[in-house]
Amino acid sequence: MNKIFNSIDLTYEIQWVIAIILMILVFATLLFWIWSLIKPSRLVDEMQTRTRSWWVMCFIFVFASIVNPIITYFALGFLSFITLREIYSLLSLREMDRSVLFFCYLSIPIQYFLAFQGYYTLFLIFIPVFMFIIIPFLLVLTGETKDIIRSMCILPTSLMLGVFGISHLALLINFPEMNSNGVSGKALLLFLIFITEANDIMQFVWGKIFGKHKILPKVSPNKTWEGFIGGVISTGIIGYFMGFLTPLNSWQLILLSSTIAIFGFMGDTIMSAVKRDFGVKDMSNAIPGHGGVLDRVDSLSTTASPFFHMIYFIIITS
Amino acid sequence: MKKIILVIIYSFFWRNFLKIFIGLKYINRKTLKNKKQFILIANHNSHMDTMAIMSAIPSRYIHKVHPIAAVDFFGGSLLNKILMRYLVNATLIKRDRNDTENDPIDAMDKMIKKYRSLILYPEGSRGSPGIMTNFKKGLAYLIQRNPNIKVIPVYLNNIYKTLPKGRKLIIPYNCSIEFGEPIQFRSFELDDILSDSEIALKKLMK
Repeated sequence: MNKIFNSIDLTYEIQWVIAIILMILVFATLLFWIWSLIKPSRLVDEMQTRTRSWWVMCFIFVFASIVNPIITYFALGFLSFITLREIYSLLSLREMDRSVLFFCYLSIPIQYFLAFQGYYTLFLIFIPVFMFIIIPFLLVLTGETKDIIRSMCILPTSLMLGVFGISHLALLINFPEMNSNGVSGKALLLFLIFITEANDIMQFVWGKIFGKHKILPKVSPNKTWEGFIGGVISTGIIGYFMGFLTPLNSWQLILLSSTIAIFGFMGDTIMSAVKRDFGVKDMSNAIPGHGGVLDRVDSLSTTASPFFHMIYFIIITS
Repeated sequence: MKKIILVIIYSFFWRNFLKIFIGLKYINRKTLKNKKQFILIANHNSHMDTMAIMSAIPSRYIHKVHPIAAVDFFGGSLLNKILMRYLVNATLIKRDRNDTENDPIDAMDKMIKKYRSLILYPEGSRGSPGIMTNFKKGLAYLIQRNPNIKVIPVYLNNIYKTLPKGRKLIIPYNCSIEFGEPIQFRSFELDDILSDSEIALKKLMK
């Protein structure tokens, strides 16, 4: 037990973030509870289920990120695993792709091991270079060429969505440059997830309140220009106030947070389009009120790697 | 001793393995609680089916639940027989009724008289996925002899995708196992029993 907790070195900043998260959750729970007492409706019920799920997710996340880093790696790897499983359960893949799927799952431990060891270059090229060649070749080995292009395109791309993006979260934790000169990888991880999820919520809230002009009526009817712009601006502001977690200065913070907001929007719409093509509303019903795990981490899978590389660029050039 | 082995294998290992790794969801599992004796009937497409059902059974009486398997497929060697008996808790029966001394219905009937529960695949063997073949008559004979027993339909959704017929590699896939309510038979005529149980299982398929 001691071993699990001995690495908890809650810095002053991280304690603050946990306190802020708790306050937001308590505030939201009370708000929707009072709202449901005054004026019950379906929207409030949905909000209450969502808030309950947020409690669980925040608890798991905070627990997984403050204990021993090895547990954090396993938790993030498991997140990738569930994401891949959700994608493959919806795709109607060919029967002979089964053996190749095994190698897709196998790339998760390899990728997280590379992140753990901090082999930066190998980590970066393992999926976009090696797996993009190996997986099509393994598909060829099955000997059936009917519909092989579909599998060749889908399987490597699913790795980019489910493994490559999310594993950048793991890379942040003990990457050498991110953990020296007063920079803390864990704080950056918290910052990224906080910003991404705040952006999701802000776009949702702005869209619900002021949404009029649809951006992509065919793909995602809930996304509006008002929600998008409001989300980007408020995420920039939130990022500015959460800046104590990062070594950046004010304009870098605002620019970075707004960029993250835009990337989060991209991930959201990409997954919306994919779901539309599958003909489903949610990827699964793993998280009550939110849908599947991929519905929650869709924006995270596209914000993690841009965030990492922008921060990396800023840190090594400054 | 046998109970401890079965509890470790199914309630501990398989249940967690299926839940966490494979992504199996148990739906309406509480219907099995507080039922002493029952017959579970399920669609059958894969060897994982038996593991999924056995892992759902409450550990208190798991040693009293016997999957029914065909002796010509599973009872090949002595080792196979011992494994089936102790690790799966299976009862091996013959597929045909030519031999009056080893009649499969009698064998199953005897188990029920000993207050044991059975897991039956009324389709006879692993069929092709998504297509339900006609139920074999053995189920109806068994119910005619024991009209008071509770028959619970179990629908296994997509479990065959984790281990299709003829494959050896288990691959994770989000699937579910759903338990229905005990079937109320219109009468204990042979055809009524068969059609009622088929309808009950097909109702869960939607």
